[in-house]
Amino acid sequence: MKRLAAWILILGLPAAVILASCTGGSEQSNTFKIGVVTSLTGPSAAFGQAHKNGYTIAVADLNAKGGVLGKPIELVYYDDQGRPDQAVQGVTKLVDQDHVPLILGAYTSENTRAIVPAITQKNVPFIIPTAVADNVMETGSPWVFRVCEGSGAYARATVDFLKNNGDPKTMAIIYENTNFGQSNDKSMREESQKAGITLVDEEAYQASSPDYKALLQRVKAKNPEVIYFGSYLLDASTLMRQSAEVGLNPRYYTAAGTGFSAAEFPTKDKGAGANAEYTFSVSQWLPSARWKGSKEFDDAFTKLTGAHPTYHAMEAYAALLVAVTAIQKAGNAEPAAIRDAIRGVSMPETPFGPIHFDVRGQNVHPVLITQIQGGEYKVVWPREVAEAQPILPTPPWNKRQR
Amino acid sequence: MDLFTALQAVVNGLLTGALYALVGMGMALIFGVMRIVNFAHGAFMMLGMYAAYVLFVHAHLNPYLSFPIVALVMYGLGHLIYMGLLRPIHGQSDFMQILLTLGIGLAITDGIQLVFGADYHQINFPLLEKNLHVGSRITVNAPWVVSFGIALVVGACLYFFVMHTMMGRAARAIAQNRYAAPLMGIHLHRVQAFWFGLGVSAAAVAGSLLLPVFYLYPGVGDQFTLKAFVMVVLGGMESIIGAAMAGLLLGVVENLTSLYWGNEWALAVDFVIFLLVLSLRPSGIFGRQKA
Repeated sequence: MKRLAAWILILGLPAAVILASCTGGSEQSNTFKIGVVTSLTGPSAAFGQAHKNGYTIAVADLNAKGGVLGKPIELVYYDDQGRPDQAVQGVTKLVDQDHVPLILGAYTSENTRAIVPAITQKNVPFIIPTAVADNVMETGSPWVFRVCEGSGAYARATVDFLKNNGDPKTMAIIYENTNFGQSNDKSMREESQKAGITLVDEEAYQASSPDYKALLQRVKAKNPEVIYFGSYLLDASTLMRQSAEVGLNPRYYTAAGTGFSAAEFPTKDKGAGANAEYTFSVSQWLPSARWKGSKEFDDAFTKLTGAHPTYHAMEAYAALLVAVTAIQKAGNAEPAAIRDAIRGVSMPETPFGPIHFDVRGQNVHPVLITQIQGGEYKVVWPREVAEAQPILPTPPWNKRQR
Repeated sequence: MDLFTALQAVVNGLLTGALYALVGMGMALIFGVMRIVNFAHGAFMMLGMYAAYVLFVHAHLNPYLSFPIVALVMYGLGHLIYMGLLRPIHGQSDFMQILLTLGIGLAITDGIQLVFGADYHQINFPLLEKNLHVGSRITVNAPWVVSFGIALVVGACLYFFVMHTMMGRAARAIAQNRYAAPLMGIHLHRVQAFWFGLGVSAAAVAGSLLLPVFYLYPGVGDQFTLKAFVMVVLGGMESIIGAAMAGLLLGVVENLTSLYWGNEWALAVDFVIFLLVLSLRPSGIFGRQKA
């Protein structure tokens, strides 16, 4: 950390002096600007903050190695407040005013999907760190790349886990009525059908509501063996607390990551606390991942925030890593050159695992299944990387230790 | 789905509805006395939540005990806002008042964001995990029961205030005829400041009662402004008892819709009822039909 601070001083001080002596008006800036659209405020702020922390660590790491094209990297943030219209405005602002040659973002699938047409129109490359709805990749835009896996891979991984661990026959899906939730519902509907699991219920809900008890009662009446959630953090906490109230007892609580995989979710102060116990979720990365650099990222993150990171921060880190590698390879700041460079990127060793993009612009990445055991995320599937045995079936609420 | 499931939904609806009712009563009070649709209502509710949150974190006071403090502080704030901001535009067009309350709401939301950040918070104490069983089939969560009880008492007090005190009579006089009332010796601004403060305070109390079972972030109140507006219209614009009944009704309707049709329809049904009432019975379900 001391070395890092020294580097920041060495690089930062002259930069600050030069910046201060510039009277502005010149297009030639002394930093290399990269645009970021994410949700720093609003209901998804916890995830936007995770993005920002991941980016902050990446900027420090990369600038310590000399930045990009001989300049230190500067991220220009645009806060979309969790709103799609703001996200689109962010793209316009970042391209027209800040002249960034590349944009990373957004956090939610809803906002990311809204951005894609604007990106394509502005002809700048766009790297998606976390949006899992598969339709963000389905426009065929040559400018769009995604580091994380999508809803289809989530559903396949979950079904694979279920088939090999008790082989349940019935399932209900509970999902937020937005792009993120709908895509996960659609993907799981297809995958469960293929696997011979009967969908007994699909429940869309309005986000950020204080009361989901009637919805949960409805699901309870259908008595599914598995519940699959597509929810953000705040609703994930409410849903689990009220599941306990309603006495909803499926054999498996599973989820499409996101709220159910946030670092805050198993905590008492910011999540569902003990009600989160035993829930399964997909995950794309954990601090214990076997990739080189995972541990260093975990350490840097813990130093920065006092808590362990989840995959959302790592995916932001990885997205910036890809961006800088591609810009370096392109050798200039031309959006089209950068786009072609991203397409050809091959990074066998990153803290997020190997990264390269297929013809759609998708990075194919392994999806894990975790379970919360003793308040911590434990990888329980696939078997070859499992840290713990899954605890099954989920104990009913009235049998749990309180 | 059997009868007990429906009954459970009705019970849950009433528990949620009581909090809605308090928010709606606050807005109805303000509308009745001042003819202002308070678009900052949700923001005041959110402010009440933050006040309760601060008291919980720094003074270890549980919101079910600290709500009188929140009520008092927010009453004071409401009073000041009336005197400083609303009074100067007294008598001007409705449009000005809409813009002003909208602006106050935005300023409060952004101010809170500056001070507390955009991150969400929640609080935790042992009562929250407690579920009560009524018979073998009905379960209720203890904190919702407590908040229901408090909301009922606070609502009853508000009603008593309006009906049986000098301030209440003055308010009703202003509601009946805002030009004649001052001629009868009623100090218009003093009365309006009082009731604006009280309306704000009611929203804030609802906020602090909701905090334990919900979470808070600066934008959390927005959805309640709209709900309160719906309640006020359903209740017959100036009737606070009407707004309270509309609040309970909305809670129950949302829960039953959610149970039988699915949660995604709950909000839609709210607005369908709203539109039906507006077009068929513009004076509200509970309001007196004017000749």
